[in-house]
Amino acid sequence: MTQAIVSRIGQALVVLLLAFTASFLLLQALPGDAILIKYQNPEMGLTPEQIAEIRVLYGADAPIWAQYGNTLWNFLQGSFGYSIQAGVPVNTLLATNLPPTLRLASLALVLAILLAFAIAFAATLAPFRWLRNALASLPALMISVPVFWLGIMLIQIFSFRLRLVPIINPNEFQALILPVLTLALPIAAPLAQILIRSLDEVEAQPFVAVARAKGATRKGVLWRHVLRNALLPVLTIAGLLFGELLAGAVVTETVFGINGLGRITEQAVSNQDTAVLQAIVILAAGGFILINLLVDLAAPLIDPRLKRTVGALA
Amino acid sequence: MSLFARVSGKFSRLLVVGALLSSVSASAVLAQETPVQGGTLVYLEQQAHTNLYPPAGGFYPNSGILNQITDKLTWQNPETLKNEPWIAQSWEINADATEYTFKLRDGVTFSDGTPLDAEAVAKNFDTFGLGNKELGYPVAEAINNYDHSEVIDPLTIKFVFKAPAPGFLQATSVIGSGLVAPSVLDQPYNELGDATKIIGSGPFVVESEVLGQSLNLKAREDYAWGPESLAHQGRAYLDAIQYVVTPEDSVRIGALLAGQADVIRQIQAYDEAQVEQQGYEILSAPTRGVNNNVSFRPENPLVADLKVRQALTAATNSEEIVSTLFSSHYPRATSVIASTASGYVDLSDKLAFDQDRAKALLDEAGWVPGADGIREKDGQKLELNIYESLPQPQNRATLQLLSQQWAQVGVKLNVLAGDSGSATTDNLDPLKTPLRPAMVGRADPDVIKSNFYPTNRDSLLQKGGTNPNATWEDPELNKLLLSIASEPDSDKRLKLTADVQAYLLDQAYVIPIFEEPQVFAGAPYVHDVTFDAVARPSFYNTWLSPR
Repeated sequence: MTQAIVSRIGQALVVLLLAFTASFLLLQALPGDAILIKYQNPEMGLTPEQIAEIRVLYGADAPIWAQYGNTLWNFLQGSFGYSIQAGVPVNTLLATNLPPTLRLASLALVLAILLAFAIAFAATLAPFRWLRNALASLPALMISVPVFWLGIMLIQIFSFRLRLVPIINPNEFQALILPVLTLALPIAAPLAQILIRSLDEVEAQPFVAVARAKGATRKGVLWRHVLRNALLPVLTIAGLLFGELLAGAVVTETVFGINGLGRITEQAVSNQDTAVLQAIVILAAGGFILINLLVDLAAPLIDPRLKRTVGALA
Repeated sequence: MSLFARVSGKFSRLLVVGALLSSVSASAVLAQETPVQGGTLVYLEQQAHTNLYPPAGGFYPNSGILNQITDKLTWQNPETLKNEPWIAQSWEINADATEYTFKLRDGVTFSDGTPLDAEAVAKNFDTFGLGNKELGYPVAEAINNYDHSEVIDPLTIKFVFKAPAPGFLQATSVIGSGLVAPSVLDQPYNELGDATKIIGSGPFVVESEVLGQSLNLKAREDYAWGPESLAHQGRAYLDAIQYVVTPEDSVRIGALLAGQADVIRQIQAYDEAQVEQQGYEILSAPTRGVNNNVSFRPENPLVADLKVRQALTAATNSEEIVSTLFSSHYPRATSVIASTASGYVDLSDKLAFDQDRAKALLDEAGWVPGADGIREKDGQKLELNIYESLPQPQNRATLQLLSQQWAQVGVKLNVLAGDSGSATTDNLDPLKTPLRPAMVGRADPDVIKSNFYPTNRDSLLQKGGTNPNATWEDPELNKLLLSIASEPDSDKRLKLTADVQAYLLDQAYVIPIFEEPQVFAGAPYVHDVTFDAVARPSFYNTWLSPR
């Protein structure tokens, strides 16, 4: 088991290094850079010589391999450099923006899971066929709604028309309601879809018929036997949805005007603020690795058969 | 009976109207005379502020903040455009405008308690005028020919210039010349994006900020040095100002109309009616500089011929652009600079819309319509590229309408929207971008030099400017521009400003489209939001009546 974990950590480091290198090269390959975008702006009124001096100051005049080495060395020491656009250290930027995004994303994920379960169970257990069909097609509708449109609609209806929650100066609880809902709906949709299908498939298997024949109620079988077997694909998808959460956060945070990783990502992309983007790529890669590790560790708890494969790896 | 009733009815109606009118005017007078102290102004900003080093204050979100927390040596009266005393009580300028001596107001302090004296002013202008290579400070755009400062006594400072600098007095009043505590300028340039590090002497101080999301200012209780010409000298009426970054247009407007915000910046022309219908006020202020325009890069062979540039000027119907896309707050351009700018002359006859003339000029230049309607010469099509400029209002729509107008005389204009890296790089290459949208706001004739001179904004991409491979230049234009920046006699300077406007349009280097304003909206209970000469809001006089 320890060996398995050590090898997982080794893999993780390789993935991080590859992510770092790939993002570094891609950002270098783009036309222009943050210094050009910020200082070539006619608003600044700088001469080419002055811009060249600024370039030296940022070490952006060095050959590309030297910049790569420098940046990597600084990253290893936990220093991500300066955001050229915002004029603050990247560490400060991350410290301000990571916690709100984590809170938003985790609450949205929890809400999404609750919604997905509610929809899936309702779609399986509802009394009429037409109602079950309607509920089963709900996720398809939810997934087709663009996040920015949903956000603006929720604001227009709940904040500006009904005046239930303010958007400007909300308290901490109010500040989360609409953004969490906006982010959760599109995440809940694929989860619900997978869960409905997988409940259907498992219910059709012979052991369910056996359990029912022995006198168990439908609800009891669903809870005790079917759900556990149907959960595995959902868990795998949930791991992959981490990326969706980050992408959704970009739009949600911009529409609601709340700060967070999504918002700084959007700004860093449009200004090619390399230092910020590199830090975000590493953070996101780290997040993916961690979540997938958790999913892999949780899987055997749901399906004991998987314990053997994990053991075999070790 | 009926007659009596009718007469008395009319009479009573008159009485009511009269009473209403008098109460309205009385309350208006009362309102003007007794500002209420207290309250927090919630201000919605479209973008987060960036580096708050004062010379970087040209960016609107930055200036909206810097204008409240810093004072300047002089105050430019937005009505007369004359410079009046503020932190400087009086000044002397020598005959050739190479030496400026300012007497400072006594008793002014920065919010950290340090005195705003000659030493502090020297430190500010030495940094603005010369930059600081070790700490990474760039040179300020508005300050030309700066050499050094001399502290004569604690309240007297002299600035010495390498060459005449007639624009310097006005430059001491611009947003980029806000005075900050000397300790601010000892910090690395790269850390001044943190508003809490900016210590000024202004009526408000930074209380707290959530980077990229919100910023809180509070009134400085011991403030007592408003611009001399204002009746108001003491602390601001507002207790606090809260800036909230709200990028989405519909959310800013919705929040204002729903009573969640008091003033918002950046309203597009098509949203103005919605705001006005509900009794809210549109606050529009002119930027008094180089008009919103498209500038040619004559190095590109397609637009090197004067006739082609003149033809495109004649093919441009700025009236249609203004009436289709904008509102009454966007006047049609009648010269290179705005009609509210200093040194303006009306040159609308040089900008007349005349499609027949445009076609004739293109024919003369040898461009004949091809099979697809686009003109050709020697197998080459008259097809031009331009990148939209994101900060300018509805720039994409403006350029697309321009493209339709030019298509009617057989010229193709491609409007490009690229990532900012590609746009910045391509805009330095005249072969890729024969045209570029531009505008500059500054209420001094120097603004024309700022826009066109090669070592400033270099709108035409001349030799010695931002494009290292440039070979084209217009020495006569540059001579004129330099003379504006160094002519000490103000009448001669205005004459030169008129000459350069005519020269630019005779050479058809630039097609002015409209006078660009900054448009804000405020709730009906917000009073006396004022704007400086280039449309930056000041909340020093602002007060909120009870709702």
